Amino acid sequence: MSSISTHTPRGQSSLPGTLRAGLERISLSRLVPVVLVWAFVAFDIFVLGWLVLSSFKTTREILEFPWSLPAALQWQNFEEAWVAGNFGVAAMNTLILSVATAGATIIIAAPAAYALSRFRVLGAEPITMFFALGIGIPAQVIVLPLYALMSAFGLVDSLSGLWVLYVATSLPFAVFFLTGFFATMPAELEEAAALDGASPFRTFWSIMLPMARSGIITLFILNLIAHWNETIFALVLLQSQEKETLPLALLKFLQQMQYNAANWGGLFAGMCIVILPILAIYFWLGSRIIEGFTLGGSK
Amino acid sequence: MTSDAGITAQGRSAMTRGSSIRTTAAAVDPMHAPRRRLFLWFVLPALLLYVVFFILPTIATIWISFHKWPGAGPMEYVGLRNYEILYYDPVFISSFINTLKIIFIVGGATFLISFALTMALREMAGRKVVRSVIFFPNILSAVVISILWGFLFQANGLVNSMLAGIGITSPPAWLNESNLFNVIMIGLVWVSTGFYTTILMAGIDRIPADLYEEAELAGANPLQRFWYVTLPLMWEIVAMAAVLWTISSIKIFEFIYAFAGGAGYLPSTKVWNTALYSYAEAFASPGTPRYGPAAASAFVMLVLVAVLVWLIRRATRREALQF
Repeated sequence: MSSISTHTPRGQSSLPGTLRAGLERISLSRLVPVVLVWAFVAFDIFVLGWLVLSSFKTTREILEFPWSLPAALQWQNFEEAWVAGNFGVAAMNTLILSVATAGATIIIAAPAAYALSRFRVLGAEPITMFFALGIGIPAQVIVLPLYALMSAFGLVDSLSGLWVLYVATSLPFAVFFLTGFFATMPAELEEAAALDGASPFRTFWSIMLPMARSGIITLFILNLIAHWNETIFALVLLQSQEKETLPLALLKFLQQMQYNAANWGGLFAGMCIVILPILAIYFWLGSRIIEGFTLGGSK
Repeated sequence: MTSDAGITAQGRSAMTRGSSIRTTAAAVDPMHAPRRRLFLWFVLPALLLYVVFFILPTIATIWISFHKWPGAGPMEYVGLRNYEILYYDPVFISSFINTLKIIFIVGGATFLISFALTMALREMAGRKVVRSVIFFPNILSAVVISILWGFLFQANGLVNSMLAGIGITSPPAWLNESNLFNVIMIGLVWVSTGFYTTILMAGIDRIPADLYEEAELAGANPLQRFWYVTLPLMWEIVAMAAVLWTISSIKIFEFIYAFAGGAGYLPSTKVWNTALYSYAEAFASPGTPRYGPAAASAFVMLVLVAVLVWLIRRATRREALQF
């Protein structure tokens, strides 16, 4: 890549030496990425702010004056989404389902991950890898037989049926995440507990589990976010309106705009209802979430 | 889309852990016997759920792909018939091409931009704030992101009014069938870039700063520094990120499903990928559900993931540099 100095006229050589050196340092290959970074940041903040502002506008305002601030705050957008758009019911379903999923996932995955990473039992390593295999299997691959299985047990259109599926499909990542986390914990504590006569279960329950708290909390939040947004299984398995989750309520609202008058204000309010709780958690625990998603339990 | 992400650093710790297990496991370990009894009780529930709801369905899908089955009742063995159906179905072929486009074009662009951002962020003030902002599209519902992205490109939407502001008054018809998939691809780059930038940033942070100073003293320009210092030292992370991208890009579904410019039905078949194809054949086709071809398409996805991950691992296998 060429630097700025190659584009500047020759007269530049009359500049004082330090200034010229400084200018040469700001080469294009440095400048372009920096501009790119700030363009990205500005765009993301703008889009988010624009979504929130638009949710307070009338549909006519959104379409005709996309750049203007709301003339008056249209709180009824939220009311329409919450009541007529069924987002209220959906929010409650989603909250219960995702909290129950995250909780149950940890109850099942934590002992397994602990045993797999600390018990030095033959087969622990291949079993861990076997769990990790599931991370690479797309939901579309398993959803067909799962639908048939669930309908055989009468669990189609059932939130508890969906809950079981969510927990089961969370396990590959959860076990893999927590094995990495437990593996980095010091062995001395376990040995000391064993010398004091604590059973392995007690060692796990009252020593190792509390020490792994930070990894478990991270996993809980990652799992919660994933299931707050989960769409494919819900789309396939849920049917009735009183059971739908937030992504389904949103998709249905979008669909109904085909038949009724377009209600963009209501739609944007619905979108805000879906994302604002997650954004609130993100503001609160941002780095934990980012590091959990990208680095797993390496720490 | 990213709940499968944490493998990056984990893979490494799992590998090193393996060797320590073998060397330290000793028959004299006093904790060993009671632990072995507990092992089963700790691992079995997770293993059982995983096998019943994950592994068996995967095998069942492969099984179904060799049968004709409307979703209930008896199955009829048809051999490779379903794969033939896929091969001669132009919708599947274009879905498959779209999946490949996402993997290679969106992936390539995402990695290129992520590298550029990472290099800029290496020495920038406020990098944590930047990271938080560009990461957030990843944690929000893909349905929301998709609707929003589609709205930006509407005929009277923000993109066009921005273009009009700089004098472009006849912008392309973004949401036309011929452009729709390109708009989707740009959106996917937007969403993914924050995620991969974060991963690469973590890798670059581990590179000691004096290596860069030395390279600079030796007269290396930024591109050379990137090529000779950055890339070799974070090769492992790049390889992991490539595997992650392959796995998660094949799963992309909601962003395309909801991206129909306001339509509630399935989007135009021109923008389908294999994930959408599998779903549509089984659950959204107007006639009897065609589980056979849907399963075959799902199995094609699985094979594609396996082959690509294997290729990436082969291509990127090299001695890890110590530094």
